[in-house]
Amino acid sequence: MRPYELTLAAAAAAIRAGELSPVELTDSVLERAEAVEDGLHAFVTVRADEARAAATRAAHEIAADGLRGPLHGIPMGLKDLIDVKGQPTTASSAVRVDHIADADSTVATRLADAGAVLLGKTHTHEFAYGLTTPQTRNAWDAERVAGGSSGGSAVAVAAGAATFALGTDTGGSIRVPAALNGVVGLKPTYDLVPRHGVTSLSWSLDHIGPVTRTVEDAALVLDALTGSDLPGQSHLLHHDGDLTGLRVGVPRNYYFDRVTPDVESAVRTAIDRLRDLGAELVDVEIPLTRYVQAVQWGVMVPEATSYHERTLRATPELYAPDVRVLLEAGELLLAGDYLRAQRARTLMRRAWARMLDAVDVVAAPTVPLTAAPTGQQSVEWADGSVESVSDSYVRLSAPANITGVPALTVPVGQDRAGLPIGMQLIGHPLGERTVLRVGRAYEETRADAGRLAPGAGTVGAPTPPTAPGSPAPAPTVEART
Amino acid sequence: MPPEAPEDLAPHEAAQWARRAGLPLEGDRLDAVTVTANHIQAVVATLRELDFGDVPPASAHAVGPEVRDAAV
Repeated sequence: MRPYELTLAAAAAAIRAGELSPVELTDSVLERAEAVEDGLHAFVTVRADEARAAATRAAHEIAADGLRGPLHGIPMGLKDLIDVKGQPTTASSAVRVDHIADADSTVATRLADAGAVLLGKTHTHEFAYGLTTPQTRNAWDAERVAGGSSGGSAVAVAAGAATFALGTDTGGSIRVPAALNGVVGLKPTYDLVPRHGVTSLSWSLDHIGPVTRTVEDAALVLDALTGSDLPGQSHLLHHDGDLTGLRVGVPRNYYFDRVTPDVESAVRTAIDRLRDLGAELVDVEIPLTRYVQAVQWGVMVPEATSYHERTLRATPELYAPDVRVLLEAGELLLAGDYLRAQRARTLMRRAWARMLDAVDVVAAPTVPLTAAPTGQQSVEWADGSVESVSDSYVRLSAPANITGVPALTVPVGQDRAGLPIGMQLIGHPLGERTVLRVGRAYEETRADAGRLAPGAGTVGAPTPPTAPGSPAPAPTVEART
Repeated sequence: MPPEAPEDLAPHEAAQWARRAGLPLEGDRLDAVTVTANHIQAVVATLRELDFGDVPPASAHAVGPEVRDAAV
């Protein structure tokens, strides 16, 4: 196995054992990034020389003083909304062409303190205001969307071009691209990970979290981001995979409505596996679902417009057309609409707290459909309704942003086109340990946990395995452009 | 009585609202912005169905269990 193929935990173990140096690992990941970047466009910038120098420093530190922790000498990418002192934070936007961060964000500081090696900045949908990241290609099929807005981070990790990465999530922007690229993404509880120094889309919905190959890796990164990397404080406590006594909520409504059959089937099979591990499955009713999109938009749209107030007036022509029109339209929303959305959000948080009382986690699809072909604008569902691709992708992830509860996406297989499917595990506020425990127990049952995207950067999805005697059902989702 | 459903803005009204917000909208921007604003308004208007009583707006920092007793 080549070093870039190692998960974070495996690479850390090899470094700890003296079998791998941070320099070898970083060289391997940089070579991988160079090989796939032309086809994927995951990075805004790769700073190879600086990364090699940081890896050399880490190697010397480890030789002289020992390992600081599992992230010491591990190469990673940061979504380009995250400030690193002296480097541009472009937000993948021409608006930021002259930007240079004058200080590190808190998360950049914490990762540097943990000894992680920064490879470069990864692409975002411009200012995180979108679900596709159009500059970047899906790691499994370059003719399909990466998902967004942390598309660059998810694609880099899925392709082995970064051992882990950070993303941000305002309506699903970590979980959506992670699911569409077959990797793990964690949106932690609101404000568990400090937002200082990270460009905002909507400050009351924004979250920062890890994108990794495994749940185990996500826990290691979360520990470093939250200062929980001391013995006994980790977010991934030792366990044997037994989920006896754990209650898994299975939604009766909303999360399995307007979902492709392949997604539903894969997620229900994964939930059955949780039951096989000892969990008790409990039906739950998701509250106030009629108002999810209204609250998400009623909060996000005015907060985003407010954040961009000055640049929208100074250099409006520098925004991409899809982002500019949303920011301008946000100027026409009334304060009463924002207040109604924030009051409905209070109702939603209370109702979710009551619903979560009955369970430890809720298990559901992360997104209703796998990666759409680039350029597809909408989907038609079996019930005849038509929904934009972006609205589909945000529909199942937004509730965790509105309520602020932690949500993890874990790969649970592929659809008939060979594209990855994600299961979302949603927990109680500050319930990261439980969410990660369930995710880890599930991934330990899969032989393919932590796999890289096959043929990253190529056109056409890999051929999926076909079960003999089980013809694929007729597609219920079609493209409408 | 719940608030009435909002009427769509016409482009000239959108221009007036934008001016009031201090954002002059050029002619070639008006149609697209008006359509988008009306679409957003149609989505968020669903919230007018709810009777909020004395429910306060959510605080950005109140994700954990709600503390209702200010003396606690």
